[in-house]
Amino acid sequence: MNILSLLIFTPLLFGLLILLLPSAWRASFKYITLLATLIQLGISVWMYIHFKTGASFGGINQESQFQFTQKLPWINLNLGSMGKMQIDYFVGIDGISIMMVMMTCVVMVIAALASWEIKSNLKGFFALFLLLNMALIGVFCALDFFLFYIFYELMLLPLYFLIGMWGGPRREYAAIKFFLYTLFGSVFMLLVMIGLYLSVKDPATGNHTFNIIQMMNPANYDANSVFAVLGHQTILGMPARTVGFVVLFIAFAIKVPIVPLHTWLPDAHVEAPTPVSIILAGILLKVGGYGIIRICLGIFPEIASSGAFWLGLLGVVSIIYGALNALAQRDLKRMIAYSSVSHMGFVILGIASQTTEGISGAVMQMVSHGFLSTMLFFLAGVIYNRVHDRDIYNFRGLGTLMPKYTTFIMIAFFASLGLPGFSAFIGEAFSLVGAFESPSVNGALPYWMAVCGSVGILLSAAYFLWTLQRMFFGSLSLKGGEVWKTALVDLNIRETITLLPLALLTLVLGVMPSLVFDKINDSVLALIHYIGVK
Amino acid sequence: MENFLQAIDTLTIRFALAAVVLPLLAFVINICLPGKSNKVAGWVSTIAILLSCVLSAFVFAKVWNQHQVHQQQLWFTIGATKVYAGVLLNNLSALMLLLVSVIALPVHIYSTAYMKEDENYKRYFTYLSFFCFSMLALVVVDSLVLFYVFWELVGFSSYLLIGFWYTRPKAIMANKKAFIMNRIGDIGLLTGIIILFTQYHTFDLEQLFGQNGLVQSATQISATWQYIACAGIFLGVAAKSAQFPLHTWLPDAMEGPTSVSALIHAATMVAAGVFLLGRVYPLFNPEELIILAVIGCFTAFMAATIALTQNDLKRILAYSTISQLGYMIMAMGIGAYASSLFHLVTHAFFKCLLFLAAGIIIHEVQHIKDENQLHIDPQNILYMGGLRKKMPLTFIACIVAGLALIGLPFTSGYLSKDGILIQAFEWSEGKSWAFKLVPIGALITSWLTAFYVTRLIVKVFFGDFKLLKINPSIKLHISDGAWQYRVPLIFLAICCLFPLFSLNPVLYEHAWLFGGFSKITALDRVNIYHTIIPAGVNILSVLIIYWAYSVYIKQKALAFPETGFLFKLSYHEWYIDPFYNRFIIAPVMALGKTSQWIDRNIIDGFIHLLQRLALGFAKIAEWTDRYIIDGILHLAASIVLGIGNFARYFQGGKVQYYLFSMLAIILAIFLFKILI
Repeated sequence: MNILSLLIFTPLLFGLLILLLPSAWRASFKYITLLATLIQLGISVWMYIHFKTGASFGGINQESQFQFTQKLPWINLNLGSMGKMQIDYFVGIDGISIMMVMMTCVVMVIAALASWEIKSNLKGFFALFLLLNMALIGVFCALDFFLFYIFYELMLLPLYFLIGMWGGPRREYAAIKFFLYTLFGSVFMLLVMIGLYLSVKDPATGNHTFNIIQMMNPANYDANSVFAVLGHQTILGMPARTVGFVVLFIAFAIKVPIVPLHTWLPDAHVEAPTPVSIILAGILLKVGGYGIIRICLGIFPEIASSGAFWLGLLGVVSIIYGALNALAQRDLKRMIAYSSVSHMGFVILGIASQTTEGISGAVMQMVSHGFLSTMLFFLAGVIYNRVHDRDIYNFRGLGTLMPKYTTFIMIAFFASLGLPGFSAFIGEAFSLVGAFESPSVNGALPYWMAVCGSVGILLSAAYFLWTLQRMFFGSLSLKGGEVWKTALVDLNIRETITLLPLALLTLVLGVMPSLVFDKINDSVLALIHYIGVK
Repeated sequence: MENFLQAIDTLTIRFALAAVVLPLLAFVINICLPGKSNKVAGWVSTIAILLSCVLSAFVFAKVWNQHQVHQQQLWFTIGATKVYAGVLLNNLSALMLLLVSVIALPVHIYSTAYMKEDENYKRYFTYLSFFCFSMLALVVVDSLVLFYVFWELVGFSSYLLIGFWYTRPKAIMANKKAFIMNRIGDIGLLTGIIILFTQYHTFDLEQLFGQNGLVQSATQISATWQYIACAGIFLGVAAKSAQFPLHTWLPDAMEGPTSVSALIHAATMVAAGVFLLGRVYPLFNPEELIILAVIGCFTAFMAATIALTQNDLKRILAYSTISQLGYMIMAMGIGAYASSLFHLVTHAFFKCLLFLAAGIIIHEVQHIKDENQLHIDPQNILYMGGLRKKMPLTFIACIVAGLALIGLPFTSGYLSKDGILIQAFEWSEGKSWAFKLVPIGALITSWLTAFYVTRLIVKVFFGDFKLLKINPSIKLHISDGAWQYRVPLIFLAICCLFPLFSLNPVLYEHAWLFGGFSKITALDRVNIYHTIIPAGVNILSVLIIYWAYSVYIKQKALAFPETGFLFKLSYHEWYIDPFYNRFIIAPVMALGKTSQWIDRNIIDGFIHLLQRLALGFAKIAEWTDRYIIDGILHLAASIVLGIGNFARYFQGGKVQYYLFSMLAIILAIFLFKILI
């Protein structure tokens, strides 16, 4: 059994187990889920340690350089004169995916611990949770576009139900909005995927293929096919490859989310239960960033280069616009949701710069944001569980009432606003370094974009500090009076042991960023080299 | 590089590292200590800083006026770029290392008494140790990235300490303001650092700014970006060192404990901006230096005019700090590098002393307030007076520090400040008249300083105790306080006098500290400024002191009416805060609201429009389905049904009817045949 496949399908096994167990045992479901995520974490740590680095393990467009790969023929149909349909089960990881997988496994453990708050229909919840878990890991490991797409769509279904059934008062609205937004992107992605399939041939077998890595080699394209690199085909009068890039980019941009495709996010976050918020912000948004790097940059590098300006512009707009919106919020979770938009903007800016620093910074920012947004949403969930209110104006002086909680809030807030010593600083700073470097290295971005990006750092300080001041400092005063005062007890042991590893992780990554960079450097260099070659 | 280091240098590096890490260790120990007001915390922090102090002194002795020591290690690799972390010890960093730990030590001792009744005693020392760690690390690190890291951590610990009493609304407003103002500077600094990195591909301070550093030898940076990098760095300096236009956080920062104000907001952290200028000095070109000089001079003057009319003891001192920092920045701008750093050192001692003394005074007035349940502001100097008899040591300390601040002879302040003034006049020599404004502004500021310092001391220590006039029943149980108060005061007061810096009380060029940064040549003191300026400044200062004394003690008429525009301008701190609130904060908030509106109404509105369109189409489709497609179907069905019904009608089972119809049909056929 391939270790990567084991990692992907462990949650599915446990999910089936939960489905088979009688509902009377429902109290054990959360422990089973936790066990599944812990096993996954163990596997991913093993993989992280045994992950080989060096120039010959760059990955990206070299199939042989991927690690822990498994490739099995999956769907092979003989279509007669049209050749053979070749869909492989093909998984493998390189430097960029290993960090995403690692982060996903950590976040899933936290999300499992946050699921203690779920009280109704436990069997359904945990089964869907584990299904989602499988899909998320699968997305980061799949190297066959068809497989990728299946995992990608498979994330939607559980999330729709998780939001729609266990969410807040406006859960139906939020769930359907989320579902339609994402589906809108992925439907068109399907078309591009098929277009690519029909354009690319596996040089070994001569069949059309969904292999992502083979899609990166211009020699594999049929000369007259729609996406042929030298073919200059058009769709509706526009160059076909540009259309393909834009369509895929929109699909991932909705996930990231990039302004103006972001409005599903605040609603989904506000209505989703805490564990789902954690998964949404912690992992799902990274699927977008990962997709842009792996698929958009990988398959359409020349379009990514020529369109870098627009990518960067969207990144900067997201940074500033998200931050300004966060400044205007009074719901704690909404504020955090908009801060995610702003922080993910740095990822886009870093990717758009197409420099080693920029892309490394972007990956670092994704990993860091994975941990930090998890922490932030968990913390927001703590208070919501206690009093079922999240309005910033309804609380004051929580620092005296919940000192431990406030300590973690301060760590999470300051880490998020980019205080050095925490991982977000490294991520944001190097995304900006990339953006500043870009004009002189490859001319992808103009200077002013980098300058505007750094204004986002200032605004994030403003909204986080304002919230701190408004909610946690000052003399104690609560909207709910004495009832709330007794309800708002400080963190319990489960909550503390959930938060502590996250706080330590972001601190450790901030002090020793080499833990991430050592694993991703070769892949990032290979990617830059690859983009530059085109 | 490591290979070339001699054993003794390795030892020096280790000592410097230990000096930096010890407060961090104290911070960690304090976090782990049980209890909120654990008195052990004070000892842990104080011992740590004491050891740091000793180690720093050793490092200083090894490095001062000798070769610099530089050691670094790979921190991380990003792509192909290697980022190093290391320690760079030269005159500047060794001096700052020693200064910070020497100032921090008395403040720690003082704090053990000052904070002893606070229920969060442990937290205070935890934060304080963290600050010391950040500050000490800031001065020794060798790369711009690390410099930025500790630059922000210093700001962060300042945030924590300003908001130490976090239940007070004013304190948390102040710390938020301080952090955000500093953040503006941080972005500037970060931008500057990144521009330098993209041009020179290194963060290493020595490679960039050392002898024959890249900044001087390589010229690939374009002029515009050189200006922007410098502007960014200056923004950082202005935020940290409270220069116009980013100075307004410092007076508000006085909401923190006074011991914190003494250490962070007077002596060390606010000097970090000047230190940064010292580190990156070769970067600035002559025009940029002129801008520095002008801004420094303007800040010095503006802050001094504000200090004239303030009534809050700590606020006066805060503005005085801004004013003195202005001098240092100005000195950097006019090329008086050595004097600027010299003034930084002397200012650290006398301003720290003034704040500690102010802390004792406030503490005692607070004591009176609590004892008699008065509703007064314990920091308002209008309620004080005549304290010299009750608190003689504090009084003497304040006099010494005050004279040093004014810059009268025999104090350290004289040596450093007159150096700046003299060099300012030398600098403006041979330039157009406009440049003369800088030294003249500095000169006027120096006289303004004499006035407000005298006003402060007279109001606090001379005359009668004002509270007694309002309420004669008050009993005064006040004194200089415990040894933890007295010893730091005495120590710092001694450090404010000339012998520590120079055996010659009037010639600044002879100060060892000045010599450490500037090579003295025999040509010095040739021009007339070296005689005329000290004499002129000091004679006039003495006259002003006497005038102020007579104004406030003998109640002579004030020269300026308290209703005039100038008084209001000064009293309201030049209306800068209201200006910012109205023209910066309000628009940003409005922008936030607007973007939220756009989100809700335009983007979501568009989504909802799509939704409505889709629903509309669905309705139309449904209608079509129901009335047209189904309609046709129903029509067909009803036609069939009608025909069926009609046909069924014939099979009614009535025999007569059958007969009749048969007859009719036969008849019809018959008729048909006949007719055709």
